[in-house]
Amino acid sequence: MTRPAIYVEGAALEISFADGRRNLQELIFDTVRAAVDDSGQPMHEIDSVVLAAHDLVDGRSLSSMVTSPAAGAYLRDEIRYGDDGAGALAAAVTRLEAGHARRSIVAAWGRSSEHSPDQFSRSLFEPFRSRPLGLDEFVLSAMRAQLCLSAGDGAGPARERASLRRIDSARANPRALRGGGFRSAPHFPLDDADLPLWADVTAAVVLSTEPSPIRVAGVGQSSEPYNFGDRDLRTITSLKTAAGRAAADAGFGADTADVAEVDGLTLIDEALGLEAIGFAAPGTGLRTLAGDGRANPSGGGASGYSPPSMGLVRVVESVLQLRGTAGSVQQRSVRRAVATGGSVVAGQTQTVVLLEAV
Amino acid sequence: MTELVSIPGHWDFDYTYFAGEAASRFFAELRNTRVMGATCPDCRRVLVPARSFCDACFQRTTDWVEVGPEGTLETFTIITAAFPGLPEPPIVMAYVTLDGADTALVNLVLGLDLSDIGAAAAGLQRQPRVRVQYGPEPQGRITDFAFVLA
Amino acid sequence: MSEPVAVLGVGQTTYKRRHPESSAADLIWAAAEEALADAGLGIDAVDVIIAGVAPDALAGENCVEKTAIFGTGKPFLRVNTGGVTGSSTAFAGASYVASGRARAALVVSLERMGQASTSQRVFNTIFDPVYEKDFPLTTITMAALRASMLMRVYGYSERDWAEIAARNYRHALRNPLAHLHLEVTPEDVLDSPLLAWPIHRLEACPMSEGACALVLGGRDLAAGRNAAWIQGMASTSDSYAMGDRIRRPEGSLVDLLSLQRSAVRAYADAGVSDPRKEFGVVELYSPFSSAEAMTYPALGFCAPLDGPRFIQEQQEDPSLPVFNPSGGPQAANPVSATAMVRIAECALQVRGLAGDRQVADVRRAVATGQGGATQFSTVCVLGTQTP
Ligand SMILES: [Zn+2]
Repeated sequence: MTRPAIYVEGAALEISFADGRRNLQELIFDTVRAAVDDSGQPMHEIDSVVLAAHDLVDGRSLSSMVTSPAAGAYLRDEIRYGDDGAGALAAAVTRLEAGHARRSIVAAWGRSSEHSPDQFSRSLFEPFRSRPLGLDEFVLSAMRAQLCLSAGDGAGPARERASLRRIDSARANPRALRGGGFRSAPHFPLDDADLPLWADVTAAVVLSTEPSPIRVAGVGQSSEPYNFGDRDLRTITSLKTAAGRAAADAGFGADTADVAEVDGLTLIDEALGLEAIGFAAPGTGLRTLAGDGRANPSGGGASGYSPPSMGLVRVVESVLQLRGTAGSVQQRSVRRAVATGGSVVAGQTQTVVLLEAV
Repeated sequence: MTELVSIPGHWDFDYTYFAGEAASRFFAELRNTRVMGATCPDCRRVLVPARSFCDACFQRTTDWVEVGPEGTLETFTIITAAFPGLPEPPIVMAYVTLDGADTALVNLVLGLDLSDIGAAAAGLQRQPRVRVQYGPEPQGRITDFAFVLA
Repeated sequence: MSEPVAVLGVGQTTYKRRHPESSAADLIWAAAEEALADAGLGIDAVDVIIAGVAPDALAGENCVEKTAIFGTGKPFLRVNTGGVTGSSTAFAGASYVASGRARAALVVSLERMGQASTSQRVFNTIFDPVYEKDFPLTTITMAALRASMLMRVYGYSERDWAEIAARNYRHALRNPLAHLHLEVTPEDVLDSPLLAWPIHRLEACPMSEGACALVLGGRDLAAGRNAAWIQGMASTSDSYAMGDRIRRPEGSLVDLLSLQRSAVRAYADAGVSDPRKEFGVVELYSPFSSAEAMTYPALGFCAPLDGPRFIQEQQEDPSLPVFNPSGGPQAANPVSATAMVRIAECALQVRGLAGDRQVADVRRAVATGQGGATQFSTVCVLGTQTP
């Protein structure tokens, strides 16, 4: 069965922190309105809204009840995933391919200034075996980092250079957080600069079945077991599988992309992510982040971070690269881009999106 | 038979909710005993309480106007059972469309005789006129006022 | 345009206040295993798993379903749309199948609220923290605000609410999965304590725990299997602001415009023109009697002002569809799962597998979902004919 092609018509994102002038709904409205304006489509041409938001991040026990109208859901077909934004985008793609909608808003957000990311992270652990130990999602990242650094995978100088380059990219990225934000306390062997900069993040795109310059060439998704002990910590298996599925879908792989925007909770996770999708060879993720401008030109988690929006932020950054409008982080002649988004618990579910300029 | 384990838990998270400029202005006006609505330039509705965008038109609102202080009670409930964490009954809660507004806002109705719930309900079903009554010390919160029969 | 989608398997746990003998993962697995067995498929045949869990706070665990990801490396997503979580989850799975990206989808919804000591306190925190959360708004008071408006505008009485509830309890007596098995007369409902005028305790839904799963597939898998086809499905969201809808000309707070719009689309796809005659079974997401009454005109069963009379007609006119043969949400309301349970019940009825509560010769059935501030509405038409 041939599926109809899906295009990105509009995109917008904003990263801010504790902007008291706007409540959560107003932050969402501003970004979704901007994405719709960017698409050039009137609201009546949009028949679907697909959201990614989390109740505990939003501090509203049924977030979309209050927030979905701010994302354009009024008298439209709307669904909310309590999952990463790239996952929501993948689901929106199926809606359009199935003919269940013609044009869809996809929006995701998280407002770190309103909640405590550490409390959120700890609550992800079930109360019997893991929560009493005080685990959070960084524990898995730290254990991964330990394995990867002790194996000498670009450890030492590469890690330092990758870290510095990430900060430089974030400084250069006009969409990165300017002032404010905060970081969690790092677990050994992670340090401050490896951690995400918690921020208020909203991202939105408009997808359509009508041709426009950016095409969603391939989408792949996968998952891993809940228990860390059941996972292979040397790599991100679910991301690898998802990348394979996206490549099969697109007819080209992430290794041929001109830009990779990879979501990871920490610098090391971003490096492992680049390896998992095949943009960097095994063991070279940190070196790639350190030396290859096409790997996370946005500055990744250093530009501002909040689940569950990051996969969609990566998609928007990729779209801007493909359009040549990414500003001072723009890479040269970008025809293909790959974006990834991982979701709780500790990257347990992963989505890979391959985009192409047509 | 294995003894089934259960562990006590407490679900408690800290949040700081930003009201935003529009709601902050609405609350500031409440302290001046004014209830404000915001007008949608597309559908021309006066939305109360005031907000920065109209979700139906997906458009930013523009002019602010004062509404009330009197209005019409649209619908109500009389809460008669106690629920953990919520105020003690009986409580009357109602949606009221203030004069000049196109939308209703929710608040408590005070000062009613609730000795006979059925009779009180029958009275409220006749959609009485009500007015906004402010508490002694406005905090700039939605609870600064309640409704009383006009 | 797209691959037709059928329900090929249904799995459900019982619904009750608590399942202390099962972990969250056990409940999900029990429902999933039964659905796969019913479909005659193994987990390997499944290309995507979608889980639905409404407010995490009700379980007191964040992303509780993530402990139950099984079938190594499957695409997995979680849906949360409040009351419509169950149907949204099913629709999401249907899109994967209809797009051709999945041959079979496993959709499962879990309610773990047995771990909550109180639900109404949690339900207060679903409201807007700036303008509304300071008031005792809960799912019960929200329903009461509508019930009193329905009485004023369309002439319903407290007696009408009691009759609807009593009928739902009566039907639940024949459903072994239901949470409440009570012999209740309308008088009993009216005599039960008043929670929030006009809602009495026996009119409100219980807090139930349990899981429901469906296996969805396309034409190739449906061949040779007992399939219930999804002939039409639609979802519509409305404004959160209840006050904005009170005087809305297109449809007021008690007119369920979102359900009406969903019904129009789903009926059009299914080719339904006379819902009174074309459905054998109607399964409504109606945790309160007033919520059920609001659906009658929205689904095209009667004019709004004829609602009270339609309650009587259901008892007198055997040509009308059977409403809530399962007993509906008043007899079991596992919030996250409830809207999927409606689809599951319709699928069982269409497939002739509904046991003691089987309605004769059901060729077509309709299931609704309702959530948020009476804001999210889904309609799903299932039938024996491939669309
Ligand atoms: Zn408007």
